[in-house]
Amino acid sequence: MALLQKSGQPRPAPDDPTGRILDVEALERCLHDPSADIRRRAAADLASCQQATQWLLTQLQQETIPSVRQVIITSLTRINTTEAVQGLATCLRAEDARLRNDAIEAMKQMPDAMAPVIEELLQDQDPDIRIFAVNILESLCHEQVENWLLDVMDNDASINVVCAALDIIGEVGTEIALPVLERTARRFNDAYVGFACDLAIRRIADSRPAS
Amino acid sequence: MKRVLIIDDASTIRLYKRCILEKHGYLVEEAVNGMEGLEKALESHFDLYIVDINMPKLDGYGFLQRIRAEDIDQPPAMMVSTESAAQDKEIAYQSGANLYLVKPAKPAELLTFVRLLMGDHHS
Repeated sequence: MALLQKSGQPRPAPDDPTGRILDVEALERCLHDPSADIRRRAAADLASCQQATQWLLTQLQQETIPSVRQVIITSLTRINTTEAVQGLATCLRAEDARLRNDAIEAMKQMPDAMAPVIEELLQDQDPDIRIFAVNILESLCHEQVENWLLDVMDNDASINVVCAALDIIGEVGTEIALPVLERTARRFNDAYVGFACDLAIRRIADSRPAS
Repeated sequence: MKRVLIIDDASTIRLYKRCILEKHGYLVEEAVNGMEGLEKALESHFDLYIVDINMPKLDGYGFLQRIRAEDIDQPPAMMVSTESAAQDKEIAYQSGANLYLVKPAKPAELLTFVRLLMGDHHS
């Protein structure tokens, strides 16, 4: 049961014997409650409050219970603002691989808010961050995805970043990818890059309509 | 023939490794994420797991932690990732990996470690 009515009218917390009314600030305090259940419910209720973005992001960095973390991420995807995406993008630098994975999965669900941030991430100095950005593109429903990936293949200096882009182009690339695939195979003298480029070129050629 | 389970969400990488390993006489099964890998590993015996780290549903660490907790034969596991940070390696070994290989691995390098982990030094 929610701690805050969706209509904006606060109501008593269901298991609070005093019938105390919870407002948004009280929900923020509940985010730090020792009880995981209270934290989980507070995080869910804050999905309707844009002002809660920073609170949720702060708690996400320190939350240890996976189910609470998942609810926080779901709330951030519902808030779905550039601020939420930028906050999630900082999680890509976390040492905790699960936090990074959760952030990647969340950002995949926020294509419009993600668009202005993805170009920055693709230019990041750290190749691991650029790989995470490419991983986000894999499932991002945005019309620029193929162009972003082709730009990575043509210009990124890191073979691992290019391989990550190549894996996706191999599945979703269209005819505009063909010259880029040929250039990429020449640019890197690597067995896997050659294999993946050949495979992608053959798949795209096979999917051409018969004339 | 020895059986290898490749767990990776990238289909091209799975196919690439499959081609290398099958050419050298290994039987290969694939899983697209840690959860599918777990199901396959519990269904039948494998001689080696080759596991990516970042995957949806269940990542490589999660797969290894859960499979290592099962009461089954425990084959060696090679974790393959682009992440070379010491922290990632430490988590990989704590999770139950026997080897952490940083991409990009050349075919000969991959094969050498596969043979080493399975004790096939003379194949």
